[in-house]
Order: sequence, then structure tokens, then C-alpha cells
Amino acid sequence: MEFLVASAIGVLTAGGIYLVMRLRTFPVILGISLLTYAVNVFLFASGRLVIGSGPILNRYEELTYADPLPQALVLTAIVISFGMTAVVVMIALGAYLGSSDDSVDDAQETPK
Amino acid sequence: MSLFLIVAVPFLGALLPGLMNSAGRKACAGVTFTVTLIAFVGLLSQLPAVLAGEVVQARVEWLPALGLNMNLHLDGLAFFFAGLILGIGLLIIAYARSYLARDDNMGEFFTYLLLFQGAMVGIVLSDNILLLLIFWEMTSLASFLLIGYWKHVEEGRQGARMALTVTGMGGLALIGGLLILGQIAGSYDLSVILENRDAIQASPLYVPALLLILLGCFTKSAQFPFHFWLPRAMAAPTPVSAYLHSATMVKAGIFMLARLWPVLSGTPEWFVIVTGAGLVTMVIGALIAIFKHDLKALLAYSTVSHLGLITMLLGTGTPFGAMAAMFHILNHATFKAALFMSAGIIDHEAHTRDIRRLGGLRVLMPITFVIATIAALSMAGIPFLNGFLSKEQMLEEANRTVLFGSPWLVPVLATIGSLFSAAYCFRFIGHTFFGPVRDDYPSKPHDPGAGLWLPPAILVVLVVVIGVAPFLAEPFVKLVTADVLGIAGEVPKAYFKIWHGLVPALYMSIIAVVGGFLLYLVFPPLLRAWDATPRPDAKPIFDAIIASVVAAARGLIAPTHDGAFTRYAGILVIAVLGAAYYGFVSGTVGEATRDMQPVTLIALGGWAMVVAATLALVFLHRHRLLALVLIGIVGLMVSVGFVFFSAPDLALTQFTVEVVTIILLLLALNFLPKVTPTESAPLRRVRDGGIAVVGGVAAMALSYHYLLRDPLAASISAFHVANSYKGGGGTNMVNVILVDFRGFDTYGEIIVLGIAALLIYALTETLLAGPVRRRLLNREPDQALAGDMHPMMMVVLTRVIMPVILMVGFYIFLRGHNDPGGGFIAGLIVSIAVVMQYMASGFGWASARLRYPYHGIIGAGVLIAGLTGIGSWFVGKPFLTSDFTYVRIPPFQEFELATAALFDVGVFLAVVGAVMLSLESFSRLARRQDMVDSDHPMDINPSRDDQPVEVN
Amino acid sequence: MSHWLALPVILPAFMAPFIVLAARYHLSIQRALSVASLLALIALGAGLVWATADGDIMLYQMGDWAAPFGIVLVGDRLSSMMVLLTAVLALFVLLYSIGSGWDTRGRHFHALYQFQLMGILGAFLTGDLFNLFVFFEVLLIASYGLMIHGGGNARLKAGVQYVLFNLLGSTLFLFALGSIYAETGTLNMADLALRLQQMDEGTATAGLRVAAVLLILVFAIKAALVPLHFWLPSSYAEAPAPVAALFAIMTKVGAYAIIRVYTITFPADLPATQGLHEVWLLPAALVSVAVGALGVLAARKLDRLVTFAVISSMGTVLVAVGVFTEVGIAAALYYMIHSTLAAAILFLVVDLTRSSRANLALETQAPVAGAALIAGLFFFGAIAMTGLPPLSGFLGKIMVLQAGFTDPSAVWIWAVILISSLVSVVGFGRAGSTLYWKANTLPVPADAPPAPGVMAFGAALGLAGVLVAVTVLAGPIHQFTQDTAAQLFDGSDYIEVVTGTPGKLSPPLNPTAEGS
Repeated sequence: MEFLVASAIGVLTAGGIYLVMRLRTFPVILGISLLTYAVNVFLFASGRLVIGSGPILNRYEELTYADPLPQALVLTAIVISFGMTAVVVMIALGAYLGSSDDSVDDAQETPK
Repeated sequence: MSLFLIVAVPFLGALLPGLMNSAGRKACAGVTFTVTLIAFVGLLSQLPAVLAGEVVQARVEWLPALGLNMNLHLDGLAFFFAGLILGIGLLIIAYARSYLARDDNMGEFFTYLLLFQGAMVGIVLSDNILLLLIFWEMTSLASFLLIGYWKHVEEGRQGARMALTVTGMGGLALIGGLLILGQIAGSYDLSVILENRDAIQASPLYVPALLLILLGCFTKSAQFPFHFWLPRAMAAPTPVSAYLHSATMVKAGIFMLARLWPVLSGTPEWFVIVTGAGLVTMVIGALIAIFKHDLKALLAYSTVSHLGLITMLLGTGTPFGAMAAMFHILNHATFKAALFMSAGIIDHEAHTRDIRRLGGLRVLMPITFVIATIAALSMAGIPFLNGFLSKEQMLEEANRTVLFGSPWLVPVLATIGSLFSAAYCFRFIGHTFFGPVRDDYPSKPHDPGAGLWLPPAILVVLVVVIGVAPFLAEPFVKLVTADVLGIAGEVPKAYFKIWHGLVPALYMSIIAVVGGFLLYLVFPPLLRAWDATPRPDAKPIFDAIIASVVAAARGLIAPTHDGAFTRYAGILVIAVLGAAYYGFVSGTVGEATRDMQPVTLIALGGWAMVVAATLALVFLHRHRLLALVLIGIVGLMVSVGFVFFSAPDLALTQFTVEVVTIILLLLALNFLPKVTPTESAPLRRVRDGGIAVVGGVAAMALSYHYLLRDPLAASISAFHVANSYKGGGGTNMVNVILVDFRGFDTYGEIIVLGIAALLIYALTETLLAGPVRRRLLNREPDQALAGDMHPMMMVVLTRVIMPVILMVGFYIFLRGHNDPGGGFIAGLIVSIAVVMQYMASGFGWASARLRYPYHGIIGAGVLIAGLTGIGSWFVGKPFLTSDFTYVRIPPFQEFELATAALFDVGVFLAVVGAVMLSLESFSRLARRQDMVDSDHPMDINPSRDDQPVEVN
Repeated sequence: MSHWLALPVILPAFMAPFIVLAARYHLSIQRALSVASLLALIALGAGLVWATADGDIMLYQMGDWAAPFGIVLVGDRLSSMMVLLTAVLALFVLLYSIGSGWDTRGRHFHALYQFQLMGILGAFLTGDLFNLFVFFEVLLIASYGLMIHGGGNARLKAGVQYVLFNLLGSTLFLFALGSIYAETGTLNMADLALRLQQMDEGTATAGLRVAAVLLILVFAIKAALVPLHFWLPSSYAEAPAPVAALFAIMTKVGAYAIIRVYTITFPADLPATQGLHEVWLLPAALVSVAVGALGVLAARKLDRLVTFAVISSMGTVLVAVGVFTEVGIAAALYYMIHSTLAAAILFLVVDLTRSSRANLALETQAPVAGAALIAGLFFFGAIAMTGLPPLSGFLGKIMVLQAGFTDPSAVWIWAVILISSLVSVVGFGRAGSTLYWKANTLPVPADAPPAPGVMAFGAALGLAGVLVAVTVLAGPIHQFTQDTAAQLFDGSDYIEVVTGTPGKLSPPLNPTAEGS
């Protein structure tokens, strides 16, 4: 099981990195999203994997629970990355609408 | 007067001329003169003490930890230089007042001049070498400003930059050298350093320190091969040339050599380098000077030559050499300043400095003629003038000096140098003043007013007085010499007199003068020869060097900073991987302590879907719509995974976020091209793929590494498990952590959301206010629209669902504290409900029915969350301290009412507001000219008798 | 329980939404509130410095939960110093933005500005690594907003890159945090330090070291350490100049984090973490100094020139840090104060220059309005930035050189720093004489736009005044940075206060004791 999760993280990261290195904003943003998934799972897994005992306190018997802390952290991370995605999409869109060019590389920086 | 004041007065005074500018030229010059006079008088007030052989001290701590303190001292040497600086300064200021033209900004000029003066006095009075360095660099800056004073003159700007570059380089070298010296001596106070001759000369760092210091001194004092900046600096107004570039600033390097003479001199390195550089400079400078046609250039090179002479004297390392050097500094300052001022007068009157266009001025400008001639003869070393005396001493010293084992080398070169020197002096006199009066001067020259000729006249008087009565200067020069030698030597007995008897020096002197005169006689053929011989010119070389450095810098920087984000990202990834790899291999890997859990079929299926979807995304990402679907699948599977690994809250969040994100991306894609063109070459894609695979493997390895191991120390979350109910009053630990244990994170998190929304809104506003607006309005939709934009089915459905969803949201919100749910998820659910109304009935209809502005909702949310936090202050608890109780409102199950819940309300509102504001902003972009907001919920409605609104 | 350690974060966090809520349409009220909040922040910062100067360490337990279970704010000398510096800088930059009318060229400037401050100050004060991440995100997203404030294609394009690069940084940050939690089971800096100290010899350190390395890389990105600096030039150059001036403090956030984490949490003298950063931080920093200087020389536009000067000065800071001695850190802190102010001044000069020119290309154009004063300010800023006397740059540089004297690679440190300053002197000299001197060869066009307002100049001059003060008061300030360095290298107080103070439901004995 652990291997499945680890390899999933790996695949997501690889895909993310590859897409991030594309030339247009849209795939790059998709790549960022993939990386976000990857890192969220990574962070989540830092509490190790527990199956079938959610971090809902059982008032009547002592149980071992999945580590709640990483879950809380991931939740925060998800929300933040959502905000970030929205922003980067908006800025990319603005850049495109202004110049009708959606490539990430900044032509004006290239020496004449 | 306190030493501090002597240094401070010029700086403080520097403000005045700038302010007095409007008060007129006289006022400017007057105030500047007064300021200098005050400093000068203050200096003189210390004369008795100095003559008594004391060292006047003034110390104030500035940066003791660094060893940088305001330590000033005044001994004979310092007094000598300070006197030169202020005394000649007075004359220069008087001279400049009449020299500068009407339209020159006098305030600016005198401000710079006083700044320079203060810095220069600072150099000679500093007892702390760090302080000295500060003043040292300030003189470079002041001279930069003064050379570039006539901003419209090309040569001025270039000369200024060249001077700044060369002396700046020297300054930095000097910093290095002096710091090393201080580190060796254990103190940055000169008085201490000068005590440590042996320690310093024994240190292995002596040679590097010496080289760096000499680099500083040679650049400042224009020693070969750094002499070239000085003639270029002649583009400055003549008073500046006379003051900075002959009398004072260029002597700073020599002052430094003299100051450090006790600790640095006497070693073979010192002797060879300093004497050698001095000799070469002396000869070359003199030689070039002979053939210069511009009076100021001629004088500039003669200055170079004389500085070389002095340097050479200091290099020999004998007390007599030092004494001769000091004496010559005095003499050179007098006659050279006078000569520059005379040149200035000629330029001022005849409107040219080109010696070829002059001649015969003897008749037209008798006063100037007398002044200049006496000064020039003194420079040539004619008896009964002060130049003769120090030159005699120089030749005498040269006679005793053995360089590279040859007793002839130095004497011969010294004689040749003096010979050249005599030659250009004669040419200066002859070609300017003698010969026939011409009728083609650019302007008819005649003697100027006293304002211009008096200052040089005063100097010339000194020239003569010292020349005939050297014994007047002797005690003072010896006093100064004593301070130069310090612990390292005894002041020589030798007396200053005109007639030493038939000593070798006399013969050498005679040879020099006669030979010089002969050269002058055969000048025309010489000139032709000179012009015929090819010579390297410093300026193009210097420019070439700078240009090549700039080109190199551009070649390095421009291509690497060309805005290629792809490369930037690649470099980042590689750097991270490399560092991480280094971190890993440099550590020890422990045994696996956890054993793998068995793989279930469902898990395998989920895994397969994630992998498949990701790979598909990577390969099909060019079809953007498809890519969106795929990323949606990935997100969905991730949230399923969260469910599987017992993280219901995460699953819910991930899922709802996914929905909203996709909506958002769809809205954006609406404007963007629908396909990504193929641009990157296959090879490049392979390269990127390689990097990506390595990165993926790394991430996998890292997570796999710790998934099979327990933490090195027990996790803090045990505390959260134990206390979430006791302390947080909730059974949903994740939610309790979010709103209580780590509520501050959540506070920051909703603020991030809020900012995101504000940003998106602000950007939309900016776009719609700009040129983009027109494009948007006239945009042709690139695919056919559905005929019925707001279908009845959907409208009805959303209307029905709305309250249900709101109810669900409310429920999710309330249960949040004990079961999966909470403000954030509830917020997303509710906003989805509202979005559906937009989708169903269109933008206008929905926003018309919107009661509260989203801005308000965001603000309110963040404020409520914050206020909840502050609430705890009133019970004396820290920010965000929670409290809770249980209530039961039938028919609901008993639920717990916690302040954390109030906090959660804030979260809820912020989320709703943020999501809605963002989506609204996006959709506002989408509205086109031809869109009419119907106030009807749907376009086609049988029960309506008016025509359906026609949508394109 | 005194709450004022939390106020620097909470005040702007309230001011901003209040501005959005109440004063959305009233510029003058926004300005008033903004300025008021900054004056208050300066007072708070001064108070903190005063309160921590004697070595006290202030602790604020959010939600009354003790560290490491809850989030704590910690105020020591370092944090207080940074808070004060930020507040002072921000006030003058704000005044400039108002004076130059920048805050009217888009929506929500003041709200974003307050949020930006909240993020920065929070990052300086928090004692929890994940909370640091959250504040990084706050300051980043606010900075995105400010960076694209006013719009324009070039700016948006640069903005995209800026955001994307930082998103990668944030992802990396999360990877680091995940590994740290997975390895050590905690997120609080002090608790982490304690756990590392209590680890016995045989502990397997690989995972831990990876985590530590990833973390320093995150901070290195913020600090624009070559080769992780590529995000900086275009984004700082394209950002509204006042915003860029404020950003002068953001690179320092990275430097701050490096100093904080790698003195207290991952000190080089622990077996678990030794040889992690000192190996490559110093070389990279030296390269940054050189690259920055070359960039200054190579620049074709004034704004690019300044951005590279920033990179160079950050390099100098990190050189001093990379020496990893008390003297080094003390020097780094002083130089940090200096370079923040110098960079800000130069960016304001850039804006003043731009305000009456077609563009910022380093070529001769008609003299700008108010040229004399602008040229003066440029000269001042250039002297400060290139480390020429008599301004604080020179003092700072001397401190750094002295700190490097004892280092094995002293020769490199001295050579690189001294030669680089020469190169930048040449670069600034060329730029200045082209922009402000050569311009006088051209006639002033009839339709020349007016000089920027008095308030704008006032703000810039005020900042210059602060820099002069930093120079004159170098003695006491350097004393303070020395004490700060001492406190950081001791660290025991910090750890003791943070982990030793009980909170709500804290178990009697130090909870981390059995955790190791």
C-alpha cells in the first residue's frame, strides 16, 4: 500500500514538473495543480497511512486514529493553493488578453 | 579650535553656497572664503602646540566594535598638509570667483569644493585608518563631481568617470590593504599601527598589504601606469585643476606613503616598487609634457612627473629622501598652483590654451608673464627659486641610490627627468610669452583684474622667498620630516642652502638645465620626430577595457536572464534535486521500522486511475478541454484516496474545491486558445521528461523512505487527540485543530482567500478600464453557443435545489465540529449553489438579485473571525482562545456552541465571499456587447407573451 | 497576559478588511487609515525592540495552547528588529505611493498593502514552521496583488512568471514541511531544535537532512540566492516602483528565515545537521555578489540595474551569514538594514525618474523634471548601494570583510566583494552620468511633464534621512546586532521560553521530553 501511495506521489510530481516546463501558461498551470496534488498527498502521508479509522473521536472506547494533524495541514494547504490557482489563472488570463500571447517566456526580457 | 571643528567646518559650510546661490556670485564666493578662512585660522591656532612637538588629539567613539572611531590627530605632517589644503584653498576660492563664467552654477561649484576640502582635511587629520578611508573615497567622489562640473562637456563626463574608476579601484585596494594592516597590528588607529613596524614587516601578509596600499596610493597620485586619468581630469574648470589635481588631492597618495613610511618603508619590495614607479613616472611624465600643446595638459603631465619625483624620494627609504620629498611637496604646491592659475588666466583672456596659437603675451600680459615665468623657472630648477633647492636635494639623494645593483641607473634617470622638466618649462615660457605678438588670438588678451592675478602672485612671492632664504623653511620642513620618520629614523643634519659647493648634484643640475635649454632650441625637429613615432594612448585602451568588461557582463547576464521561465524552472528543479541528493547521501539511512500494509484491489484500481489520468494528461495536455477533464479525474481520485485513508474532511474539501476550480478554469479557458501549439523540439521534450522523471523518483523515494519508518520522535498530535474534546469541545479532531489548536493558521488561510478575491476583482477592474475592454466586448465567440442559454429545466431545477443545498450547507457547518464538515466546506457548498443560479439564469438576473456585495461578505468574514479571536482578550486570554457549551434546539440533535463555531462563521463567510467575488469577476469579463441582460429567469418561457430575448 | 506581541500581525489584519468593508470608495479615508496603522506599527516595533533589547524573549501562545501543540509568536531581538525595520520602511514607501498617486492606479491598494504587512510581520514573529508557511503565502499573494497593481501587459507578463515561480517555491516549502513532520513529528522551531539536540548518536539522519536542505532552499529562493534568483529581476523591475521599494524587505524575509532556522533549529554543530549549508551557502552567496555586480554593469535599463544591485546586496548579506560566526551574523544583520533602505531609495529614484521620461532605457533623453534633486538622490542611493563612504554601505561592507577575515576562504570573500563593488561603481557611474548629466546636452521639451509632488520627494528624502541615521548611529545599532547574534547562537533561552511555558491543558512536565 505504501508503495502505491509513494509511486502515485512520484507520478504526480513527474507529470507536474514536465508540464511546468511547457511554454504556455495553461499547461504550466495544470502542472502546478498536479504538483499541488502531489505535495498534498505527500504532506498527508507524513502522518503515515491508516485505513478505516478517521480522526473522529469515539467518546466511548479508546481507539487509534489516523494522525489528524497532517490532515488539518493539508486542508489548509488545499485552501491556500485554491486561492493561488485562482490568482495565477486570472493573471495569466489578463496577460493573454492584453497581448493575445499566452506563452510563459517573457519576450521583452530577451536581449535585442 | 578643536580638530573636529577644523574638519567639520568645511562640511557644514558646504551647505551654505548652495543655499546662497540666489544671493548672487559674490555672496557665494564670500561665504565659501569665510568658511575656509575659519578652518584655516582654527588650524593656525594649533600651530604653537605643533611647533612644540606635541600631537594634538581628539577622539570620539563611533563604531568601537568595528574599530572605527572619530580619532583625529594633528602632528607636523598633518599640519603641513592641512595648511597646504586650506591655504591654497583660500587662494583658489578667490581666484575661482572671478574665473567662473556668468552662467556657471556657482553655489553647486563651491559646495563640491568645500566637500572636497573637508574630506581632504579629514584624510590628513585622521588617526583612524577606517575613518581615513572614508575621507579618502569622499575625495574621489568630490573630484568626480568637480571634473564633471560642466555636465554638457563630453570630455568632462568621460574624464570624471575615468577618474572615478581608476581612483575608485585604488580606493578599494587601499581598503583591503589597510584592513590587513589593521588586522596585523590589532588596531585601526594609526598611532598604534605606526608602533608595529617589526610585527608588520615580519607578517606573511606584509607583501599583499603593501601591494594593495601602493595600488591605492599610485592610482590616487597618478603614478605610472595609472597616470592617464590625471590629464583627462583637466576638463574640469581650472581652479579645480589647480587645487585638486596639482596641489592637494593627487598628493593624498603621497601623504599616505609618507604616513605609513615608518612601517612600510625600508624593505626591498618597498624600495624597488616605489622608487622604480617614481623614476619611470618622473621621466615619462616629463617627456610627454614637452610635446603637449594644451597648456593645462602640459602642466598636468609635469605634475605627473613631479609626483613621480616625490614618490621616488620616498621610495629610497632614507631620512634624507623623506626630507627632500617633504620639501619638494611644499615647493611644488606653490609653483604648480601658480602655473595652473596663470594658464587659467591665459585661457580666460585669450580664449585658448593651445600653445601653438599663443606667443608674444610678454607684451600684452606683463603681470601674468612675470608670475608664470618665475613659477616656471622655479619648476625648471633655476637657482634662487625654491624648485632649485628641492631638486638639488633630489639629485643628491639619487646620487646615493643604488637600484638593481647599478649606482648609475637612478642618477642618470633622475638627471634625464630634470632635463626634460627644464625643457618643457622653457617651452612653456618661450612659446607662450616670447616671440612676436600675433594678431590672430581668438580674443585680444590683456592682463586680468587683481581677482585673477593676485592669488598666483602671492604664491610666487613664496617661491622667491623660500628660494633666496631657504633657512626660513628649514625648521618647519625638518619638523614635518621628523613626524614622517617617526620611530624609523633620525632627521638628517643637512642644512638647506643654495650653495653646497661643487657637489655632483650641482653638475647634474647644470647638465639638466643646459640640456633642457638645448632641447628647447631644437624643439621643432623633435616635435616632428615625436609625432612620427607611434605611441599607445591611454584613453582608447581604457575605453576598450571598460567596453570589453561591459560586453562580457552582457554576454553573461543577458542570455541567462532572458525571461525564459522554462529554464528558470528547470534550474530550480535541478538545484533542489542536487541539494536534496547531497543531503540524503551525507546522512545515514536507518532500517525500515514499519511493514507495508497489504494492497487491496480497490486501492490498486484507484492508483491505476491516478497514474493513467496523469499520464494521459501529460500526453494529451495540448487539447485543453480534455486536459481539464483529466485533471478533474485526478483530483477526484485524490479525494477518493483521502476517503480511503480515513480523511473524510480532506475528501470533502478536495472534492468541493475541485468543482469550483474546474468551473474557474472553464471560465478562463473560455477566453484562451483551445489547443496548445507544439513548439518545443522533441529533444527538448525528452530533456524535460528526464528532469521530470528524476524529480518524480526523488519525491517517491522520499515519501517511501518515511512511510516505512516511524518518526524519530513521537508526534505532537498525540496531544491533539487527547485534548480535542477536553480542550476544544469537538470530536472531529481535524476541525478542532483547524479552528482551535491551529486556528491562527486558518485565520491566515481565509485571509489568503480574501486577498485572492480582492486581487482578482482589482485586476478585472483594471482590465475592464483599459484597452482590453474593447477587445472583450467585440470578441467573436470561437464556438457556437447553445441556442437556449438559460434552459427552463435547469432554471427550475436550480431554484428547487437552492434551499436544499443551503440546508445541507447549514447542516455541514453545524456538524463540522464533531463530524466531517465545517465552515470551509459549507462555504464552498453554498457558493456552488449560488453559482448554479448564475449558470441557470445568467449574470444580470442573478446579480440583480444579489443583496450583499461580496466585498462586504469577505470583509465581514475576516473581521468576524478576527473579532472572535479578540473576544478572548476580554476574559484575559490570548488571541483565538476558545470556549464552548452545549445546547439542544429541537428538532436538531444536541450540538455544541463554541466560540470556535463563531470563528467558523467567519471562515464560512470569507469563503463564500471570496469564491463568489472571484467567479463573478471572471464572468464579468465574459459579457459581450451583444448580450442583453434579460430580467427574466429564462429566455424561452411559454407562459410569457413577450418575445424571447434574441441571443446572437 | 500582554497582547502587544500579537498586535503587529493583528492590527493590519483588521485594518485591511475594515478598509475593504467600510472605506472601499473613500480614498482619503483609506489613506488616513493606512498611515495611521503604520504609525502604530512603528510604535509597536519600537516598543518590541525596547522590550527585547535586554535579552528578554516574549512569547504569545495563540489560543492559549502551549508550543509545540499550538502556534506561538516569539519576540526576540531579531524579530523585533525586523518588525521595526519593516514598519519604518513601509511608512515612507506608503507616503511615497500616496504622494505619487500610485495608490489611485488600481483597486484595493491600501487593503493589499496592509495584508502585505500582516504577512511580512507574521513571518518575522511566528515560531511555528507551518505557520511560517501560511504567512509566506499571505505575503506572497498580497505581493502578487501589489506587483500587478495598475496592470499593463509587461507587468502582467512578469507577474505570471513571478507567481508561477513562487508557487513552485510554496510547493517546495510543503515538501520540506511534510518531511520535517514525518521525521520529527513536530513543527515548532524550538521544539524541533530540542528534539534534534536530544537525538542520540546512532540516529538515522538522511531524511532529516533532506528536510533541512529543502527548507533552506525555500528560504534561498526568497532571498534570491543565485541560481534561485531568476524570479527577481523582471518582477521587481516591472512592479510599480514603490511596491518594489516595499519588496526590498521581502528578500530579507528569506535571509531572516535562514538566519533564524539555521542558528536555532538546524545549527551546524549538531551531528544531525552539520555540513548541510555551510558547504555551499558561502560559495553561492559569493556568486550572487558577482552576478549582481555584473548585472549592474550589463543593465540597459535603470530598473534592471537596481534589481541586480539588490541581488548583489543580498549576496553580501548571505556571505556574512555563510561565515556562520557571531561576528558574521552581526555584520549580516547590520548590512540587511542598510541594503533594505538603500534598495528602497533606489527604487523610489527609479520611479521619480520614470515619472517624466518616456522609458528607463539608459540612453540620453531630455532632462527630467526636478532633475537636480533626483540626480542627487540617485547619487546618494548609488553611494549607499555600492558601499562607498561615508554611508552605511561602507560600514556594512567593512563589517562583512572583517567577519570574513578569519574564514578559510577569506581571500575569495575579500576579492569578490571588493572587485564587485568596483564593478557596480562603474555601472552606477555610467548610468548616472548618462541619465542625469548627459541629459543636459538636450533642450528641455516644452511639453515636459511636471516634477513629482512634494510629498513623493519628501518620502524619498525621509528614507535617505533614515539611512543617514543608520550610518551615524552605527555604533549602537551594531551593538544591538551583536547582541542579537549572541542571542541566536546561544539559543537556549529561546528554546527554554518557547517549550517551557505551559498553556491550556499542558501536561506538567515538558511534553517533548518523552517525545525523544
